[in-house]
Amino acid sequence: MAQQTQNRAEIYAFRPVWRRISLQLAILSLIAGIFVLANEVLLLRLDAAVSRLVSIVLVFVPGLLWLLLSVLPEYRFSRPRRRLIGVAVVSGLTASAIGLPLVEAFFIVERWLPLQSVFARIIGYTFTVGIVDVGLKFVVLRYLIYPGGLRVRSDAIAYAFAGAVGYSFYLNLVHVWRLDPVWDVAAIYVLANVTIQFASSLFIALGLVESYFGDAFPLVLPTNLLLAAVAAGLVTALFPGLMSGVLSQAGNADRPLYGFAMLVASWALSLGIAYFLFTTSERREREAYGGRGDFDGI
Amino acid sequence: MEFETGRSPAIQITPRQRWSIALSYLVIIIGLLLGMNQRDSFLNQTSAYNNVEAGITASYPARWLLDESDSNIFRVRDMSHRGFNTVIEVSSLPVSSDSAERNLLDRLSIQRAQVLIDYTILGYGTYSLPDETQAVTMSYSFVSRDASPFLEGLSSIVNGLDILTVRRGQALVISFRADSNIFQRELQTLTTFVDNLQF
Repeated sequence: MAQQTQNRAEIYAFRPVWRRISLQLAILSLIAGIFVLANEVLLLRLDAAVSRLVSIVLVFVPGLLWLLLSVLPEYRFSRPRRRLIGVAVVSGLTASAIGLPLVEAFFIVERWLPLQSVFARIIGYTFTVGIVDVGLKFVVLRYLIYPGGLRVRSDAIAYAFAGAVGYSFYLNLVHVWRLDPVWDVAAIYVLANVTIQFASSLFIALGLVESYFGDAFPLVLPTNLLLAAVAAGLVTALFPGLMSGVLSQAGNADRPLYGFAMLVASWALSLGIAYFLFTTSERREREAYGGRGDFDGI
Repeated sequence: MEFETGRSPAIQITPRQRWSIALSYLVIIIGLLLGMNQRDSFLNQTSAYNNVEAGITASYPARWLLDESDSNIFRVRDMSHRGFNTVIEVSSLPVSSDSAERNLLDRLSIQRAQVLIDYTILGYGTYSLPDETQAVTMSYSFVSRDASPFLEGLSSIVNGLDILTVRRGQALVISFRADSNIFQRELQTLTTFVDNLQF
């Protein structure tokens, strides 16, 4: 019986996602941090053309990290997560075709939200940018991996992260291309979009995990979607305030270090909360099934 | 290496899961509706303006900046817009008993041609005011450029619309100007403004 369980476990051997995701976010934060420090502390200045080139290259960094650290290692195993690239590509396409046009042309948030109070901004971004992003990423996951692509709990996390990478890639490309920020600010924008999409995707994944593997009460998944939208709204609303300096007679300058610190704290906190909820739920279910000697139900 | 035990994909989802997906769609739709509601309430929020001397009461978008200068009764500007700020200007012109509305518009055009770059009249028309009287309109365009030649930036093409009506021996001109890229979209603001204007 023990041998049979071991064999079954080997068939379903999957790369642990948490460590890989943490590593990618840490590397991305390190790159952004180096860029910010180079500009703020070392006062390194780049030519406009070089700065633009560096900014555009930065847009591809999260995707490349994800390909190297999440996608390629999958194919060392007999049963890789085959839909990772599909989820990322479709998420990016939905951001391009629906997400950004809806936020910019339909909700026109730039016209009314940035000037509101902090609380109004959080609520506003939650029910515009947040709900649009979460809704689209949820629909992509629902139709591409739910339930066929879910074999173990961590599949949901891996696919949700793929969605976040794809979705944020398009947003990064548009922001860097259109706004043409200096290279260190571009690094912060890239980290910001990845963090916002990552934080919201984690809550979507937790909802899918509970719904599918735990057969949870029907309100659990919608509640998680709402939390995902709130997470996106919260970071979107607070980040620009921290990035912009205090207005004075001398004008105001960006404060990338503050923005950087806030983003690192945001993704670390989201990751910590999600990991805690994930492992707690997994342990509870393992104990429930373990009591009957049936591990296959996890 | 770490392992996780897994299960084969289910062929069908359970009724609970079906409900949770349906409720998720419902939450997304309700969220979007709340977002639309917020957008409309913020965008349509107005402030009241009252000028007893000129006998004008108006309501303008709350986020716009009010300015009462000598040459106009008042004007309101959307300062949040990058580039040319959308503006609604209300001014009065003296009229004599034999002044035609068209003559008043021509006088405005002559003045503007001297101060605005590439000022061009695009056409004349009529506009139905809330009390069902007809006002004459003149649409035009010009090029807006930063005041300082040392500031880097592209010029914008601005579209304008004047609505002129004569009442009680006084001509009232409502001038609306916006960047040509957003002029059509912003016209709704002018319509709402005129609908609530009392003079």
